[in-house]
Amino acid sequence: MDARALAKSLHPLETKVLLRYGPGDELGNGRLAAELGYKEGQSNQAFSWLGAKGLVEEAGRSTRVVYELTPLGRELAEKGTPEERMLRHVASGRGATLPELAAALGLEQKDVGSAFGQLSKEGILAMGEGKKATPASGKPSPRMEAVRALLERAAASADGILGDETLSVPEREAMAGIAKKRGAGDSAFRVAERETIVYRLSAAAPEAAAALRELGVTGEEIGALTPAMLESGSWKEGTFRPYNVGVQPARLMPGRRNPYGEFLESVKDKLVSLGFEEFDGSLVETEFWNSDALFMPQFHSARDIHDVYRLAEPTSAKFIEEPYLSQVAAAHENGGATGSRGWSYSFDRDFTKRLILRSQGTVLSARALTRAAVPSKYFGIARCFRYDKVDATHLSDFYQTEGIVVGEDVSLRTLLGFLEMFAKEVAGAKEVKYVPGYFPFTEPSVEVHIKHPVLGWFELGGAGIFRPEVTEPLGVKVPVLAWGMGIDRMALMALGLNDLRELFSDDIEAVRLRRASFSV
Amino acid sequence: MPKIEVNERLFFDLLGRVRDAASLEEVLPGAKAELDGWDLAGGKPGDSGAEGRVIKIELNDTNRPDLWSTAGLARQLRVLDGAPIPEYPFFSREGDERPAKYTVKVESSVAKVRPFMAAFVISGKPVSDAMLRDVIQTQEKLCWNFGRKRRSVSMGLYRTALISWPVAYKAVDPDSVSFVPLGMEAPLTLRRALAEHPKGKEYGFILEGESVHPLLVDAGGKVLSYPPIINSNDLGAVQVGDADLLVELTGTDLHSVTLSASIVACDFADAGYEIQPVAIEYPEPTAFGRRVVFPYYFQAPVALDSARASKLLGKSLSPAAVVESLAKAGVRADVHGQFVQAFPPEYRNDYLHAVDVVEDVMIGRGMADFPPERPRDFTIGRLHPIERISRKAKSLMVGLGYQEMIYNYLGSGRDYVERMGVESEGVVRIANPMTESFEYVRPSILPSLLGSEAASARAPYPHRIFETGKVAFRDASENYGVATRQRLGFLSVHAEANYNEAASVVAALFYYLGEDWAIEESEDGRFIPGRQARLLRKGRSVGVFGELHPRVLENWGVTVPAVAGEIDIESFA
Repeated sequence: MDARALAKSLHPLETKVLLRYGPGDELGNGRLAAELGYKEGQSNQAFSWLGAKGLVEEAGRSTRVVYELTPLGRELAEKGTPEERMLRHVASGRGATLPELAAALGLEQKDVGSAFGQLSKEGILAMGEGKKATPASGKPSPRMEAVRALLERAAASADGILGDETLSVPEREAMAGIAKKRGAGDSAFRVAERETIVYRLSAAAPEAAAALRELGVTGEEIGALTPAMLESGSWKEGTFRPYNVGVQPARLMPGRRNPYGEFLESVKDKLVSLGFEEFDGSLVETEFWNSDALFMPQFHSARDIHDVYRLAEPTSAKFIEEPYLSQVAAAHENGGATGSRGWSYSFDRDFTKRLILRSQGTVLSARALTRAAVPSKYFGIARCFRYDKVDATHLSDFYQTEGIVVGEDVSLRTLLGFLEMFAKEVAGAKEVKYVPGYFPFTEPSVEVHIKHPVLGWFELGGAGIFRPEVTEPLGVKVPVLAWGMGIDRMALMALGLNDLRELFSDDIEAVRLRRASFSV
Repeated sequence: MPKIEVNERLFFDLLGRVRDAASLEEVLPGAKAELDGWDLAGGKPGDSGAEGRVIKIELNDTNRPDLWSTAGLARQLRVLDGAPIPEYPFFSREGDERPAKYTVKVESSVAKVRPFMAAFVISGKPVSDAMLRDVIQTQEKLCWNFGRKRRSVSMGLYRTALISWPVAYKAVDPDSVSFVPLGMEAPLTLRRALAEHPKGKEYGFILEGESVHPLLVDAGGKVLSYPPIINSNDLGAVQVGDADLLVELTGTDLHSVTLSASIVACDFADAGYEIQPVAIEYPEPTAFGRRVVFPYYFQAPVALDSARASKLLGKSLSPAAVVESLAKAGVRADVHGQFVQAFPPEYRNDYLHAVDVVEDVMIGRGMADFPPERPRDFTIGRLHPIERISRKAKSLMVGLGYQEMIYNYLGSGRDYVERMGVESEGVVRIANPMTESFEYVRPSILPSLLGSEAASARAPYPHRIFETGKVAFRDASENYGVATRQRLGFLSVHAEANYNEAASVVAALFYYLGEDWAIEESEDGRFIPGRQARLLRKGRSVGVFGELHPRVLENWGVTVPAVAGEIDIESFA
């Protein structure tokens, strides 16, 4: 840093030291207090900052003895020492035995005893008739006067500390009687050793001081601009101290959206822009809507006990809406009126009422069919639940994105048209391909794969045309396109994460600091 | 989804060509299959034909068990590649029975426990290692996935040379018969085999509560097997090099048993074995008659209107074009006016509806024949009202200095009930949780927020977090006995957190939501008495807020004061 830049970075506490002193000056807290009016803390800061910049250096250290006023000492300064109080009491003409003195002054017997011993030794009090203490000289001794002066000086100082070097000889003698190094709780002063450091300006200091002078900086510049300065206009007389803009600013913790939440919203906005209306629904569903209405046979392997979460209580819905129940049951058993031969088994009407946690978002599509207009388009980002061991690629609850397109003229080719739009508009893919797929509720079925610039081809989602066994029992006579996308996987890619659990992180700091940009 | 391992050499022999990974990946979608791995047995990708190399493949169509074997998968790919549809002349049909050298007599005693059986004999050459491994895998996949863990279909292989014909299929008292199960040395009664043999332990549930158990014995009284549990250790111990193997399937559903037999027979026929029919004589007539000679073709033809195919596929196709496309997918069909009659292949029974045939038309033509088309219908898109109100609340919370969090909805009773000090009756519990960590659906957002706090003591304070999300709780007035609601929950944790702060957040929120509201004293055990309030909107309770009770904080190991609130945001939608 050149001298000019260095000078600009100086605090007024540093500036004043540099401008005031020259090489050879010995600087310490006492001197800065006397000459610059610095408090001890300010001196320490000035030396510390200047030292860090190489502008002062240590010239030497010395140890000095100080006396620190204890709480007892403060009390004695205020109320008087036992000697002083006894003297006052006796001098006011009220002779008293030692026990009477102890009672009257609220002192311990032994304190009264030792105080009287000292007072009689110095010829101030004497033991008179009836063992009553009576005045001898009746005047405080020089020792007592020195003690009083010490107590008052210490109590009046800001920190209650007296340096040994400030004591006169009689004071030093008096101090020896009222100060202790250890166990000073019952003494007026604690004796301590303080290290004082003497500093000297370094060889670089004159150059910095010259730069300060050249800049016209005095250390008296305006720091914080206050309302009072603005009101009075006093700022017009001063100049502003430049601040160091290179300083690391303090951290703020702003209110903020969760990047995953923003991602989900952006997908919703895209789908709305493509003409889709959002649907929503219950986390708890029946086997009927979750699977039966989707023409998944009740014996299907994906419906085994370990594939969906069942409710402990209640276990069943009160009812399933008609005519859907009867029409779906017929489709399963023999196809009903759908032209299908069905799954040829006896549909279990109790099982179908069983309550489970929604295992696929398609349940919302099935429900939407019962009220769907022609044409119409619906979508939902639905929390689903799976019987999976939780790890980086599996969660027990996660989001699925599903939707349907209902229309007189929709076909496989329009389905592919939608998938192409999703791949390009929602997932931002450049290359798309379609392959035949399998889903129990669609026929034909396709999968859409997109090419990720780094990860290569991966499955974006699945789609198909709902089977007539799905649509017709729910009252829809026209073809219905159904599609689903693996939204959590897309989110990981968009947010640059690689563990699904991070999407649902409960770590406040990780979420606060997550910086995710996505271009969806 | 079934995953299979195919012997590379056998697979390429059956495919009629060698393919590398890239070319295999290109054609596998025609069978709705994906390449899952390739064990090169230490060799290089190009060394095809070397021993021990195995290709791992995942099959996505749970309704096409014929694809879950080396021969079946190879057949589909071969036909899609242009090979002719294979012929299987050994199938009997209604009114067209093949001569059968072997007979199994089914006794009426099996009617209640496991009534159906199909069988045939494979001969012509000794069974190879690759084929034996494959048929064992086929048996596992078929009987597990399609046969519902052997409940509806199970299968056994036997050395025909050791069998005295005719064989009897009957049901017996499980304590009355002993035999040596496969892999054991001493004879066991059926009941002991269930208790002691690994397969008995695995599949014993199928026969639970049955007074008589199925048994297959030959004319000499020797036990072939104890279906669906385990073969015998002599007749039922098949090895590489054995010729003339009896394949037998039993089960509870005649169609599934018959189709499974057809699949295995076609696989062996494709691999160059001869299939010799076996006659099964039932005590009573079945859907296919009293005496049925297997393999048996039972599938009915499916009529498809070519106009329907054209409409669904979005491409005009003549009946002849439909027939031609089906042939490419391996399906025979003929034209009847504008209709096409499709005959399901011997090894398939997945045509439930004409739309299933349409998909084969799509596969036969290939996806490239269907260029994507922009939809023409105009519809208006809109967000759900719950989403709209949630977004409004979220932006207000961000303005109030809160960080949005997103949590899982499943958790433990410890977090949702015990630590919060609430009653468990209102909480939705899962009957079959995988672990106690995911046993309950959250009834409130507060435990999610507190879980974050408990995990984040080292994050610099203050902590101000919120979530809008769903909760579920018991509600007897609902059809499901459970209500799902969208809520907003917030939590502020720092040394000076107090009631006034929470009250100010709520006041700001309601002001900008433009809602009239009121508060009244509440007595929610999660908050400090006298420092909490219930929120009322139009006289209805819609939330609560206040200083969290130190007892709750202690339960979560939180040592900094915290205020929180939870509002039913859905009621504003």
